[in-house]
Order: sequence, then structure tokens, then C-alpha cells
Amino acid sequence: MSNTQPAPVASEHVELKARKVSFDWEETPLHWVPGDPFTTHTINVLHLLLPAGERWFVHVYEQALPYVTDDRLREDVIGFIGQEAIHSQAHDDVLPHLRKLGLDPTPYTAQVDWFFEKLLGDRTLPPGRPRRWWLMERVALIAAIEHYTAFLGDWVLNADALDRVGADPTMLDLLRWHGAEEVEHRAVAFELFTHLDGGYRRRARTWALAFSALVFLWQRGIRFFMENDPTLLDPKASFADFVRKGRQGVLPSTPAMLRSVPRYLSRAYHPSQEGDTAQAVAYLASSPGANGGR
Amino acid sequence: MPRFTTVALVAGAALLVRRAVRSRMSTAPLWPMPALDVPVSGYGRGSTVPRKVLVAGRGTPAEGVVELRLEGAGLPAWQPGAHIDLVLPSGLVRQYSLCGDPGDPSAYTVAARLVEDGRGGSREVHEQLHEGVEIEIRGPRNRFPLVDSPAYVFVAGGIGITPVLPMVRAAEAAGADWRLVYCGRSRATMPYLAEVERLGGDRVTVVAEDESGFPELEFLGRLPVGTAVYCCGPDGLMDAVGAAMSEGRTPRLERFTAAATTGGTAFEVELRRSGRTLTVAADQSLLSAVRAELPGLMYSCRQGFCGTCRQRVLEGEIDHRDELLTDDERDDSMLICVSRCAGKRLVLDL
Repeated sequence: MSNTQPAPVASEHVELKARKVSFDWEETPLHWVPGDPFTTHTINVLHLLLPAGERWFVHVYEQALPYVTDDRLREDVIGFIGQEAIHSQAHDDVLPHLRKLGLDPTPYTAQVDWFFEKLLGDRTLPPGRPRRWWLMERVALIAAIEHYTAFLGDWVLNADALDRVGADPTMLDLLRWHGAEEVEHRAVAFELFTHLDGGYRRRARTWALAFSALVFLWQRGIRFFMENDPTLLDPKASFADFVRKGRQGVLPSTPAMLRSVPRYLSRAYHPSQEGDTAQAVAYLASSPGANGGR
Repeated sequence: MPRFTTVALVAGAALLVRRAVRSRMSTAPLWPMPALDVPVSGYGRGSTVPRKVLVAGRGTPAEGVVELRLEGAGLPAWQPGAHIDLVLPSGLVRQYSLCGDPGDPSAYTVAARLVEDGRGGSREVHEQLHEGVEIEIRGPRNRFPLVDSPAYVFVAGGIGITPVLPMVRAAEAAGADWRLVYCGRSRATMPYLAEVERLGGDRVTVVAEDESGFPELEFLGRLPVGTAVYCCGPDGLMDAVGAAMSEGRTPRLERFTAAATTGGTAFEVELRRSGRTLTVAADQSLLSAVRAELPGLMYSCRQGFCGTCRQRVLEGEIDHRDELLTDDERDDSMLICVSRCAGKRLVLDL
């Protein structure tokens, strides 16, 4: 049954390499989407989740790497690891700036660090078969998360509404550099999962877990930022706001996000079927930050 | 009546429990899990942010030498021998040794001699870096570290005094036995002369070419074992120091060529957990040598910025060539894609 086999689109494959980046946050205001704290903080949650999250990707892949028997996939995984390590560093470097602007992320990052390092860490299950099972479970979780990072990457590369509302150019460059690399390497996590395990039940189970964890952590992060923002008198955040901003195009649209769910759960899914590598590579060639900001 | 006592006791106990739980939760939000560690995230090491400093002071410590005081916020601490890169307004990148106070997080001090027929970097420093100019710096890095030793001999030539000056101060503060041979064309062209003479008295030998020609270095051949010899200056001086030392001993040198990331000298590396020892050739990276033995090893950028190839070092002196690690991390770990061994042998926890 050919339609149940994930079909990669060969032309979407590109050699991966980590890029040295440089972003100067000096001029970036607290509400870098002018006059729109909700959108600002919704996107800012990335800076809370990604430093620990992407370090965790690297940590898990370090353990998965010895099981890879395909040389091309190993090259891809090695490129992926470097890109993720730099993403983690770049988002982490935003947080001291937020702290300087009066928004201390420490209470939340402490929880996120615990979540990725302890709860999703190596010692959650006892050694032996359970631990090997746990490694495969985490590889599958990363594949599910990468489905969303690629979705968000593709969205931010095309989010002209953010330019129209005058969002901070440095922050946009960070998001688009990151988004473009996510689009560029969007197939790696899925291919690694397919190579090592690929079971459909595991794919569906880990998708459900990743999706609920992301929704939970994200709304908690938005509320944390809104409540601790020193300039906000009415720190309310609601799901309706999210839907409304999605319609305006400054955040991903809710229907588009929901539509991406059955695509990942389809048996014929392969990440190279969505997103545009050429657009990502073109952005990376012109991004000030990804060209060293020099 | 006993019922009333029971109810009161239970209510009191419940109140106490509630208080205890609340105070526990306020220190540990994930109660009943243990209190959260201080997060690693949120204290970015700044490796993706350009570090800007302001030229806040400019002086002339000697003829043809300009000293710059570069002010910034939260500048990383450094050890004597360290240097920084200045990203000059034209985009040229040049290395300068730090010669100020290592404990001052608010400013770095560098000094540059104008080289008339040089590659243009020193001219730009002299002509364009005036007070109030903001420039980007990278680093600090240290390829010329001061090792613990009971006795030191420093040989500095001209502007080569800049990395040596903080070393002399540190040696003096540690109460070590030290002496300095400071050479230059003439006393007027030798920066920080008064300071080192005041610091060292008769432990400082000043050799100005116009007064007394070239320095006498034969004493280097008679030094007791255990004396560390440091030299920074023109190539001729560094060669003379190397030649004067007894067989089998080498001075520690600081050469300012373009920051090399590949090549060096061959050395041996022991992988302690695997129980293997291999040789890293002069034109080979440590990563590629180790990878031949351990193919599943992590790495990615191979340029010393992603940090994924970091390994723990158990023994041996490291020649750090990366842009990423902090001083603390450098004490016992290295990025094996670019960094090498400063001596003959390294032991890795692999």
C-alpha cells in the first residue's frame, strides 16, 4: 500500500549546518509588537521554552546518535543538533534583556528547566529495557514537537502582518532565522524517529502528549508574562484573544493549527510535504543575524 | 465533652498542616516535589549577542603607543595573559592583550603600538578610536595562561609588555619569586616602564637598545627546573629566548598572528573510560582523531561555537580556541573540535 508509506519530497532536502548568529537586543522594547502586549508575550513564551527545550533535544539526540545506521541521516542529525544548540543559546540570550526591562523570567524558567531536565530526563525510568523504551518515546516526542516548530517557522516566514504592525526588526530577524532553520531541518526529527522506531501507535501517543504539553506550557507562559509585566494594569489573557490575533495574522491562526493535526496523524505524512525549503534558504542568506550581524 | 476536644485537636492539626503545606509550596512551586534548582536558562552566556564597549579613556603611555580604556556593563572576568578581539570600524578584527585590572567588570584596558607599515589595524586604532566611540569586542580568550609556579621569568619586548604586566602584578600578589627582562628601542618608547620598575625594583632589568644594545639571555640556560619562562615580543626576541634555554625546555610564548583555529603541534590523548590512547597529528583536529575511535561522538559546527562537542578533561593543559565556554567551564572541559593541548598529553573522560 504505497499511500501508507511516508513519501519524502527529495527536492526539499538540503545540507544542514549550524550558523553563528549575532543579535543586538539593546534597542528592543519590552512590547516589541507595538501596543500589543498579548501578541508580544505569546511569542515571547518561545524564549521561556526553547532554551531548556532545545538543550533537551540535543541531549536526547546525543544518546540516539549511536543507534543511527544510515550515514546521510547521521549527517542530517549532526547538522540538526548544531542548529538546535544555537537556537537554544540565541533565545537564552534574550532573557537577560527581558530581566533588564523589568520582566524576570526566573520563576518560569526554573519550572521549564525542571520539566525538561528532570521529568523528561534520563532517569525517569529504571535502566535496561524501560530506559531504551523511554529514549524512543522521547525521540518520538521530538518528532511531534518539530512538526509544530516547522509549522510555526513556516508561519513566521510568511507573517507579513508582523512587518505591517511595526514589530522590532531584531526580534523578527531572530524569529525568522530560527523559523527558517526549523523549515530547513523539518524532516530530520521525523526521519530519525522513522529510522529508529516509526511505530504508528507511538507516533499518535507522543503527538497527543506533545500537543497537550505545548498548549499547557504555552498558556501558562503567556499568563506568567502578562501577570508579571510591570507596565500592564489589566493583565488578562484569553483564548478568544488568541483566536482574534490569529485572524489579524500577528499570531498563527487557530483553524490552520487545528488543520495541521490530522496531517501529522496521517499515515502518509512526511514533513517535506509542507513548508518551502527554498524560501527558508533565501531568508537565511539575507538575514542580518544569521550572517553574523557583522 | 471528649468529642469537643477531638474536634478542636483535629481542627488545630488541620490548621497546622495547612500552614506547613503553604509555606512548603511557597518555596517549592511543584510541591510535593523538592524545591526547584536555580535555572540554567535565562542567564544567557551572551554568545549570540555582540558585546559593545565604549572608548571611555585614551592615554599615551609611551611614544607611539595609545592606551584605551573600554567601558561596558558586566564584562567577563579574565586571567593574566588574556586578549580580546577589537572589531574595528572598517570591519578589521585585531587581537590586543588586556593589561588592566582583571577584577574590574566595568572596563578593559588595551594598549596598541602604531605600526607604520603594518596591516592597518594599529593605524585605525590610533586614528579612529577616540573617546566616545562605541565598538564591538569579542572574547576575552586566553592562549597565554599564567600557570601556578614558585618562580617566574618574564621577558617582554616593547608593546609585548601588555600581557606580561598583569602577570607581573599577579606574581607579585601571589608572593612568587619573579624577575622581568624588559627590552625596547629606547626608554621613551617602552610603555608602563615606571610601573614595572616601581613594582619590581632590582628584579626588573631594563634593556633599552639605544643605551645597552641587546639583552643578555644566557641566564635562561641556568634556570632551576620549575621556573616558568614567559615571553612576548618581536619574533627575534622570542627566538632568542627559545635558543637561550637549556635542552628540552621551552618558553611560553604569545604570538599575535591571525587567530588560528586549525593546526598546531601533535599531541597524545588518552580516552580514559575507553582505555585507549591516540596521537593527534599537527594538522588534525582532536575531534577527528577521537571520532576515528568513537564514531558515535557528538559534534556539529566544527568551528567552536555550537558547544555540542564539549568534553570533560581529566588531565593536561588545554589550549582553548573556542568562542563559547566561560572561564569556569574552561577549567575542566573543552570543545574538542577546535581546542587543542597546550602540552604533550591530554586525558579526556571518554
